[in-house]
Amino acid sequence: MAFWFELVATGLITGGIYALVALGLNLQYGLMRIMNISHGEFLMLGAYLTWLGHTVLQVNPILFLPVVALALFALGVVVYWLCFRRIIRTAPAVEVIEARSLLVGFGLLFLVQNAAYLAWGADLRGYSFLTEAVDVGGARFQVNRLVVFAFAVGASLLLLAVLRWTLIGKAVRAMMQSPTGAQLVGIDTRFLHPVVFGLGLAMAGVAGALLSMVYEISPGMGEPYTVTALIVIVLGGLGSALGSLLGGFLLGLVETFGMHYTSPSLKMLLSYAVLIGVLLARPKGLFAR
Amino acid sequence: MSRFTLRDSILATLLAALVLSAMPWLMSDFALALTLTCLMYAGLAVSWAMFCGATNYLSLATAAFFGMGAYVTAWGAETLAYGLAVLLGGLAAAVFAALVGAAVLHLRGAYFAVITFGLGELVRHGITYYEKAYAGTVGRVISDPPETVTIYHTVLLLTALAVVTALAVRASRLGLALRGIGSDEERARTLGVDTRRAKVLAFSLSAFFPGALGAAMAMRWTYIDPLSVFNPFIGFQTVLIAMVGGAHTILGPIASSVLFSLLTEYLRLQFPYLFLVILGLLLILLVLYLPGGLASLLDRWRWGKSRA
Repeated sequence: MAFWFELVATGLITGGIYALVALGLNLQYGLMRIMNISHGEFLMLGAYLTWLGHTVLQVNPILFLPVVALALFALGVVVYWLCFRRIIRTAPAVEVIEARSLLVGFGLLFLVQNAAYLAWGADLRGYSFLTEAVDVGGARFQVNRLVVFAFAVGASLLLLAVLRWTLIGKAVRAMMQSPTGAQLVGIDTRFLHPVVFGLGLAMAGVAGALLSMVYEISPGMGEPYTVTALIVIVLGGLGSALGSLLGGFLLGLVETFGMHYTSPSLKMLLSYAVLIGVLLARPKGLFAR
Repeated sequence: MSRFTLRDSILATLLAALVLSAMPWLMSDFALALTLTCLMYAGLAVSWAMFCGATNYLSLATAAFFGMGAYVTAWGAETLAYGLAVLLGGLAAAVFAALVGAAVLHLRGAYFAVITFGLGELVRHGITYYEKAYAGTVGRVISDPPETVTIYHTVLLLTALAVVTALAVRASRLGLALRGIGSDEERARTLGVDTRRAKVLAFSLSAFFPGALGAAMAMRWTYIDPLSVFNPFIGFQTVLIAMVGGAHTILGPIASSVLFSLLTEYLRLQFPYLFLVILGLLLILLVLYLPGGLASLLDRWRWGKSRA
């Protein structure tokens, strides 16, 4: 029983991070049709910021989370203004926005990732933080993993709550349903787009900061998370925040169980098999109504 | 290009191919290797644009087709003749594309991009697993590869063939159907176009060339492993080249593949990271301020001239 519990818990911990990364990406896509392929690079920046904060300024990584979130939010607003605003204004059709933002995403990916290589080199970096183990219900976990899980789920739920119960959340949902209709009732795109883009990057940054507490970091660490996030949002449905959360957990569980029962080298094979299976059976995502 | 007839364009392509076919005896080895890279990317980008440029689909499956072709060569190198391996590589990719296309071409936009990328990765991980578990190897060495000149001529032939096919498709009913799908699929279907058939046919046709090119390039590389031939970068780079050049044209992707290959070759070795930073910046600026690709520069210039 304890063994099962441990397996499920491990899957959920991985899934919590997936959900957090995917939520940000999904918001950006759902609202603006920006397929931000460089999402993982901002996760990497969040991880490096936390690492710098811990090793240079000796700040507790948990206390540093709000700083990372704010810094990436600001960066997101700037990136939106510099890169994506023009695309959304000038593109004649939704598909064109998707294609061009994908290209710009690639540009950002090259730019940010290699700037990080220039700044910090290709070495793996890391620090140890809360590595002692605790017993929970008969299974043993490192404390830092539990912290990561708690914050990942906490941040995801916070975002869902903001979307559901605040005025700005309502505006975001309205705009996802019908961009023209939302503008007709006075929702301001010029305000909402940069804010949501920044929010997406802030989520990625927080995810990166959390990951740096558990794993070693490198400038190339973000890319696999982008790919995983893409899988998660397709599983959960493009534009569906709750779907991303559930999809993230699902993928985490599938990976953990699959790796346990087959072999670790099949991890990615399993993710893609799940993705393709779901897309063929339910093209609009598992949780689409 | 519109001022030329189909026959003129095909003749021009064949003429260019004829000139390029003499290059092995005129160029240094380094320049020849560079030309080979240019040709490979030109072939990949033109065949990508053949389907995706017209229909506005975003396929990231090029790496999958390329890798499949390469593995046909790797597995069959000892038993198959060289020309046959290249042909089979192309056919394998085309059949795969037809099967996949029939299943997923009803998806559009981001869904299609993600699933084609996922399929490529699925094939890559599948082959990696198979090789490790059943063949006991990670990569494969191709013993006794043909001469560089032979490979160069093969790649040249395939690229020229891709350009001619793209030209022919564009001038045909299929090309019209594809463009109709690109601008409004519902309307195309209402007007009696069998959109499903047109899409599967064109997708499969456009997969033949990356497959065959992969089979030929595997011979050139002599050592292949799943990571190098299914490298997602091959797919991304192809999309970038085609879109930077102007995916709705044929000349644009060719021009930008030359540009990209030269840039890559000269800068990447000296400043690996800085090069990619600059490439990223360039890409962003290009998309923002020249969204129609390099081809739109030509259009603009022509338009200006016709007004003068």
